[in-house]
Amino acid sequence: MTLKNLLSAAVLTVALLSAPAALALEPAEMVKLLATIDDRQRNGGDYKALIYLEQKEKDKTDAVREAFVYRRDADDKLMILFSRPKTEAGKGYLRLDKNLWSYDPNVGKWERRTERERIAGTDSRRADFDESRLAEEYEPSFEGEGKLGKYTANMLTLKAKQGVDVAYPVIKLWVDKESTNVLKREEYALSGRKMRTLLYPRWKKLFSESKGADVWFPEEIRIYDEVEKANSTVILIKSIDLRSLEANLFTKAWLESKSR
Amino acid sequence: MGGHFRLLLQVAFRNLFTSKINLLIGGIIFLGTLLVVVGGALLDSMDSAMSRSIIGSVAGHIQVYSDDSKDELGLFGNMGGEPDLAAVDDFSRIKPVLEKHPNVKTVVPMGTNGALITSGNTVDLTLARLRDLYKKRAEGGETPALRENIDSLKAHVRQMVAIMEEDLAKSRELLSDTARTPEERESLARARSEAFWDGFEQDPFSALEFLENRIAPQIPDGDMLYLRYAGTDLDRFQSTFDRMEVVDGQPVPHGQRGMLLSKFFYEEYLKLKTARRLDMIKQERELNKKTIAADPQLQRWVKENQTQTREIVFQLDPIKTRQVVERLQKVLGSQEPKLEKLLSSFLTTDDANFDTRYAQFYAELAPLLELYRLRLGDSLTITAFTRSGYVQSVNVKVYGTYQFKGLEKSALAGALNLMDLMSFRDLYGYLTVDKKAELVELQKQSGVKAVARENAEEALFGEESGNNLVADATPGLINDQESLRGAMDSLRRDDLTKRVYSQAEIEQGVVLSSAIILKDPEKLQQTMAELRQSAKDAGLKLRVVSWQQAAGLLGQFVMMAKLVLYAAVFIIFIVVLVIINNAMMMATLQRVREVGTMRAIGAQRSFVLGMVLVETLLLGLVFGAGGALVGSGIMAALGHVGIPAGNEALYFFFSGPRLYPSLSAGNLIAAFIIVMVVSAISTLYPAFLATRVSPLQAMQTDE
Repeated sequence: MTLKNLLSAAVLTVALLSAPAALALEPAEMVKLLATIDDRQRNGGDYKALIYLEQKEKDKTDAVREAFVYRRDADDKLMILFSRPKTEAGKGYLRLDKNLWSYDPNVGKWERRTERERIAGTDSRRADFDESRLAEEYEPSFEGEGKLGKYTANMLTLKAKQGVDVAYPVIKLWVDKESTNVLKREEYALSGRKMRTLLYPRWKKLFSESKGADVWFPEEIRIYDEVEKANSTVILIKSIDLRSLEANLFTKAWLESKSR
Repeated sequence: MGGHFRLLLQVAFRNLFTSKINLLIGGIIFLGTLLVVVGGALLDSMDSAMSRSIIGSVAGHIQVYSDDSKDELGLFGNMGGEPDLAAVDDFSRIKPVLEKHPNVKTVVPMGTNGALITSGNTVDLTLARLRDLYKKRAEGGETPALRENIDSLKAHVRQMVAIMEEDLAKSRELLSDTARTPEERESLARARSEAFWDGFEQDPFSALEFLENRIAPQIPDGDMLYLRYAGTDLDRFQSTFDRMEVVDGQPVPHGQRGMLLSKFFYEEYLKLKTARRLDMIKQERELNKKTIAADPQLQRWVKENQTQTREIVFQLDPIKTRQVVERLQKVLGSQEPKLEKLLSSFLTTDDANFDTRYAQFYAELAPLLELYRLRLGDSLTITAFTRSGYVQSVNVKVYGTYQFKGLEKSALAGALNLMDLMSFRDLYGYLTVDKKAELVELQKQSGVKAVARENAEEALFGEESGNNLVADATPGLINDQESLRGAMDSLRRDDLTKRVYSQAEIEQGVVLSSAIILKDPEKLQQTMAELRQSAKDAGLKLRVVSWQQAAGLLGQFVMMAKLVLYAAVFIIFIVVLVIINNAMMMATLQRVREVGTMRAIGAQRSFVLGMVLVETLLLGLVFGAGGALVGSGIMAALGHVGIPAGNEALYFFFSGPRLYPSLSAGNLIAAFIIVMVVSAISTLYPAFLATRVSPLQAMQTDE
């Protein structure tokens, strides 16, 4: 074996050995990736969306709804206000500080709900409608690269940070390598039991004046209940509007006034 | 032959009281008959008492429900929760079909369901009341009475915050500083400040939101309660089921929406826990004869009352706190200024002071306290996951409490609350044709395609999916005001609580089952078969079941209880049989010498056999009759005064605090026949043995 051959073999070995290492994401990179995901969905100012929500359950007719989602990302405020069908109109959720309030105009009562609240009885949770806060709430670790249909994704496992109240403490995330959009998300209970699988097949972007950049949103979210296997939910974000909202919108009084 | 028999009878009569052994056997037969009569009658009485409890409470004699149902009907609940029943779409369609049967007296529509009731913690509830008052002020202006209410509630909230801060100081000593986050402590400090309360009136709703979002979550959440209810035509229910009685409050007015809570449920889950524990201790001491000194459960309750005084302390506003402190100081002869300490020492009860303290609690403290979390006349908010998949909340006014006589201590029966059929239907969430059309239209507009979970990834992300991951959105302007205004119009509904519904409105609509009361309950099976047939003829898919099947868990429990009782009586029978048999054997074998002698002087075998048999039968007749007579006397006396249920479990078997047993002719005849047959059979074999003995052998036997 000549020196040249030996050298090239060594180079090859180093290249082969370092290949997986080069693909793996460093912790700092992963945090940056999460921050990017979060940041792309955040709007500096207010946010209003018209959504469609469909729940399928075994032996039941599909429950469908339309709602408005309002966000003021600067103060972490969120409101979901249902508008259709008629019997659901005026019902809503309001997130203030760490409280998730639910309101039903039929009874005129506010009730504090937990992070695990099934929004309007569907498989969706508050976080599915809210601003993405992955970097703030979770610690990532790298799981490798994988194919998801025609897309190649980085797979991450996220563990909730200490003292942060989230619906699920462990999340597995498939992030499209090319576009940095979340494709798939699996959520686990503390016991390790898989609770929900979410698929995000379509992302849209819209230029925001207040942010001075694009705001991204998943046009469609498919949620599969992993406990009650027959249940699933579809969320469609039909359109978004980034103009500023009324100053007092995120108050109980405002939501109450809608049904008076 | 006649002379022969007369002779045998003479012998038998002569021997009846002269022979000591006969007296002994007679005594045994007497006791045996007595046992069989009393045991049998008691068993029958308990059996019918239990059946009456269930038939007369909700089940009726027969229940009818949809044959498309997946589960079996369980009016008192099944294992694993509420049974999955298909709805009967319109009660007014099945009613005439059922009522046509000549043996059907009444048909009562019903349906059972359950819901979780959540309520905020004490601070949440107080703030919600304060918010309502401010809303009232914003709408109708301030009145002096309103102002007074607002000030009193504000003072109450301030006091709560003060207590929370004291707790914080205490927990700081115990747990260093980790118990609360800096933000929480900061909020608490702000809520304690004079500045916050001085500025309260300028913007009360903002101040309330601060308290609701920052202060109230700092104490643990309120309880979650599971509420089981039966929706029914309340008027008809009350007139049909004789075991149901209103305890407190009043019945729901005719045709109106409303609820009657079960007394058991109201006491167990809605009463102030301290008061409930005092009641329990009293009951255990009086009914079950337990003492605080000896019973660990009672000691635990006393301990909990001593330590868990927070519920009372939190409930009182400053004025009432002062009054309670004064009263407790007087009662205890103490100078202690702290309410918590006073309460703790007042509730330190033992067997000697319990009765006094109990009386003092209700006389002195109770008038100042909210004894129940929900007052009669208030509304209860019930939220249910409806069958159509939507969450539905309804406010139902609670008019009173009720109980089923005989089932008042039963936790299963006590879990059932009664509700009007209109509220029940709202919570059940039946989809009308209009509603269905609206949903179909919404779904069509959305354009969502169903994607099965099995191949979801391939369908959404695969090469064939044609999916475009990224696209530009068209900037949209969402006019929510416009679309909300249209939708919200439907919410301007009339005041539901005051509306009076007509009988037709109540009957036209969904029910889950119907109870049928029969004119002649003896024809139960026959009527069931005929009702099945007539439902089939009318094209209705109905399942017809007896009350025992319909009662679910409670029905199974009755079945078990009956089996146990019958087994017990069966064992008594066997014991009686063995004793009589033994006694007879011994008695007959004793007479071997006598038989030998008689045979030696020419008595035939058949004569000897006849003699022994006639004697035994006479014995059985005389002493059995005596036993039956005394047994009937005992039953008559018991039927008059009743047998007290010595402990809680017996309440169910006795169908109330006392069982008034009755004796049927059937019981008497059965007992009599049993004793006679047993006596005869158990004599036959030894008598037969005796005749086999030769005179020689007989005379050679030792005395």
